[in-house]
Amino acid sequence: MEILNLFGLETKLFVAQIVNFVILFFILKILLYKPISQMLEERSKKIKQGLDDAENAKKTLLNADNEKISILKVAKVNADKILENTKISAENLKQKTTEDAKKQATDIIDNAKRLAKDEFNKASRQVGEISVDLSKKIISKILSEIFTEEEKNIVLSKAVDKIEHGGYEKTTN
Amino acid sequence: MNLAPEILFKIAGFPVTNTIVTTVITDIVIISLVLILKFTISLYPKIFQNIMESVVEYFYDSTKDVAGSRVKFIYPWVLTFFIFIVISNLMGLLPGFETIRFHPIGNTSHEGVPLFRTATSDLNLTAAFAVISIVMTHFYAIKYTGVKSYIGRFVSFQIFPVFLFVGFLEFIGEFTKVISLAFRLFGNILAGEVVMGTMSSMVAFGVPVPFMMLEVMVALIQAVVFAMLTMAFMNIMTEKH
Repeated sequence: MEILNLFGLETKLFVAQIVNFVILFFILKILLYKPISQMLEERSKKIKQGLDDAENAKKTLLNADNEKISILKVAKVNADKILENTKISAENLKQKTTEDAKKQATDIIDNAKRLAKDEFNKASRQVGEISVDLSKKIISKILSEIFTEEEKNIVLSKAVDKIEHGGYEKTTN
Repeated sequence: MNLAPEILFKIAGFPVTNTIVTTVITDIVIISLVLILKFTISLYPKIFQNIMESVVEYFYDSTKDVAGSRVKFIYPWVLTFFIFIVISNLMGLLPGFETIRFHPIGNTSHEGVPLFRTATSDLNLTAAFAVISIVMTHFYAIKYTGVKSYIGRFVSFQIFPVFLFVGFLEFIGEFTKVISLAFRLFGNILAGEVVMGTMSSMVAFGVPVPFMMLEVMVALIQAVVFAMLTMAFMNIMTEKH
């Protein structure tokens, strides 16, 4: 007991320290350990969620890249098809246009030939008429010197009749 | 310096010693820090929260490494011992401790007694802590291993009488744990105070600084030792026998 007194051990103080510590323990448990544990847990969850999100984003990006590549492939195939079709269409159009142009050119030439022929016939006919008029005038003049007026008219009408109804062969240049 | 704390006054027969005063001050400091943390706690910590989280995490992880799933009930005790002891020890290095004097009623000495004295230099406190540590260790041992396993640790008739003797030694060992825990902390801190007092009285300036640095280390080391021993005892005793 003497040694305990020497160190100042006293029941009241000893019990007071125990009570003090137990109270402090529960205060710290409620005010410190619980909130910090919750905070650390929440932070861990957030970090885990962040990592998961990053992983998901990575996967999504990879999928998007793959999708992009496949879309580009399909687009390229479609574009090639469209280009091929366009070439074929253009070739067909070209052929059709060429054929139309040739046909139009043939028509124009034929038309021009027909017009030229018509013009030639018209000109021939006019030349013929002029020849008849001229012949009539020449014959009339010649006959007026040889025959009487009455004979001249008979001969002239016969000659004209012959000329007009093919009594003489028509000469053409 | 006395081994026993000095009584300043009495309240309803309860002796208020200078270590009781510093114990109350330590409590106030700890609770203030905890309240500051509670009201400023955030998901994105600042420096104060970072320090507190680091301490809590360090003890949580250390206990988890040793005790595994039993960390939940062991680490609050370990950490509370550490926080109280380290703050109490460091407070003892503040100016005013041992130097501010108080004249209790009936004390006729001219010098009076120190108003503040490191709480852990009082054997009442260190013994109380040691008793709490060992009692809680045994409480959890019974709770988590069962009464049969707990008693089997001390009383065993296998290879009679070898294990019975071993059990007896274990039983005695539990008392020595209390004594060693209490006196280690008490002795180290009291010795530190004596050294500091002696050095300061010999040379007031400069010379005490290295000893003060040593005392800072002792303060931290003793707090860690007490906490870690509690952790080890609780871990050993709560393991299935």
